[in-house]
Amino acid sequence: MDLTPEKLRLIPMVALIIIGCFGLLNSKTMLRSLLSLDVIDTATISIFVLIAASAGSQTPIVTASRYSSYSDPYPQAIILTAIVIGFATQALLCAIALRLGRRSPMLRYRDLEK
Amino acid sequence: MIDYQILFPFLIFLPALLGFVGCVIPKITFPFSVLMLLGYALGSFSYIGSNTSYLYTLVGEGGIQFSVDSYSFPLIFGSCITLLIVFGLFFKKFTHYYYQICLVLLSALLISFTTVDLVSMFISLELLGFSAFLLIADRNDRKSLFNAFQYLIGGGLAMLIYLIGVVQAFTFTGSFLLEDLVKAPETALCLIVAGLLTKSGVFLCGMWVPNIYSHANSQSSAVLAGCVTCAGIAPIARMSQILNPISDSMIVIGVISAVIAAIYAVFERDSGRALGWSSVSQLGIAILSPTYACSYAMQHGICKALLFSTLYSSTVDGSSDSANINIKNDINSKLSVTNEFLRVVVFIIASLSIMGFPFLAGFITKNWIKYDIPYEAKIIYTTAALLTSTVYARLIFDRIKNFIRQPYARSIMTLSRASKNISDLFSSSQNYILLFSIISLIVASTAAPALFTFSAVQSAIVSAILGGILFVSVVGIQADEFVKPVTRTLDLVGAPFLVAALLLANLIYLKI
Repeated sequence: MDLTPEKLRLIPMVALIIIGCFGLLNSKTMLRSLLSLDVIDTATISIFVLIAASAGSQTPIVTASRYSSYSDPYPQAIILTAIVIGFATQALLCAIALRLGRRSPMLRYRDLEK
Repeated sequence: MIDYQILFPFLIFLPALLGFVGCVIPKITFPFSVLMLLGYALGSFSYIGSNTSYLYTLVGEGGIQFSVDSYSFPLIFGSCITLLIVFGLFFKKFTHYYYQICLVLLSALLISFTTVDLVSMFISLELLGFSAFLLIADRNDRKSLFNAFQYLIGGGLAMLIYLIGVVQAFTFTGSFLLEDLVKAPETALCLIVAGLLTKSGVFLCGMWVPNIYSHANSQSSAVLAGCVTCAGIAPIARMSQILNPISDSMIVIGVISAVIAAIYAVFERDSGRALGWSSVSQLGIAILSPTYACSYAMQHGICKALLFSTLYSSTVDGSSDSANINIKNDINSKLSVTNEFLRVVVFIIASLSIMGFPFLAGFITKNWIKYDIPYEAKIIYTTAALLTSTVYARLIFDRIKNFIRQPYARSIMTLSRASKNISDLFSSSQNYILLFSIISLIVASTAAPALFTFSAVQSAIVSAILGGILFVSVVGIQADEFVKPVTRTLDLVGAPFLVAALLLANLIYLKI
């Protein structure tokens, strides 16, 4: 397997995913797993954006003066939905954390899983 | 001739539209939504078994592709019937915005049954996850809120894993279509399948199922078991039809899931959790054969919805709080002796149907799958069927025991009240629904008369009897020692990773 610059650019994002998964699997409280999920979410979105930019990094807008190398608009358009969905998930999880936080303010799994 | 390019998108988004309108004017919209569900059920029922398929593309060239075909019709029919059963039996117990959520859920289900596009699948599964989250949290106590939290965080992670798989496939194929996955690398396939398996709740990924089914309201459990877990089945069936490595791995996963979840169910003492484990086992059987997966999931979904609706008597709803309120106004409970009796009968019939007893709907679908899978898997499949009959023998036993223990149970037996009991039978609309479901489960078995060979009927009856005997022999084992409920969040969240790794190892090195 040869390492092209496109693949090299993805390495930080993959590292971010691994960090997020590590956080999710090792968190002791609800808030930490919530934030870890957000880290994985962001990393996934960045991967989409970077892959779309592999063809070229200029804006794909048709104007009078045309650019030479466009980035692919298709994945970028699609990832907008994923951003909104990730935001909605976070909002719902925060609402639940708020409700559960009244009874056990530390939100530790040890207390909640009884 | 109506242009189906416009008609089908309208039909898909109609439930969501009705759901949102229903938030504003709830009383007026409810009858319309019931009518719409009836229409969908009848419409899809007339297409089951025919090879009709409509392909269309939303918003012109390069848009989102949909395919309404033989995979979608059974599942649409099953979900509509499940929702109708829940609407009919639990209408008086609905909390605010309950049926509206169900309608939005139906819209998400329709998208996931019909789409052949990976990104639309992602969006519909996320919408489905949100609706299911609201249904689980509907009971609104601390434990169900925490269950909903676990479901959402596990489902969210699974969908992110799925999305990473999708983007990796995109770099190799250049499109998001399901049929282009043939050119995708193994890693991408593993990630996509692990996400789908988590949503449909098959073995390791499905450990959230028993926790949630046992604690949620019975109407929510019925909807979850009948519709939500079916959503992953259609794309998995489509994928294993075109990809040979996936269909081979699905047989391994399905067989493991069917046997181990059934063993868990046998040793489980709580009826709700046993039903949840059995649901995991049944969906494991469903993914064995891509051709009949959807029919099997449909039959299982309808039977499970009936089982969850009738698991508890109508006055006691599994939770102690509502029981106390209902005992005070026991004017209804005296009237509903026949209703209770009917509920027990429906419970038994639906259990027998899942066991695959002859002359019921389950017998047909079980045999379709049985003749479709390779010989090596057939032996383990029979084992799973035997364990399933053990589970349901115990469930039927417990249900009848609970019924007889009630003070009013004896009046159903006395002959002097027989005429009054019969007149009670036609007094409420719930009884009509229950009676109709019994009859239709029996009538459905006439769909394929060719399957009623002597050996098949014999083996089904023998397996049911053996299940009963096995139940008597394991009933004394103190299983609480070694079957502990899995409730830790770590276990629920980490399962998709494990399954993705196992699948990858299988696809690259083992090549089963």
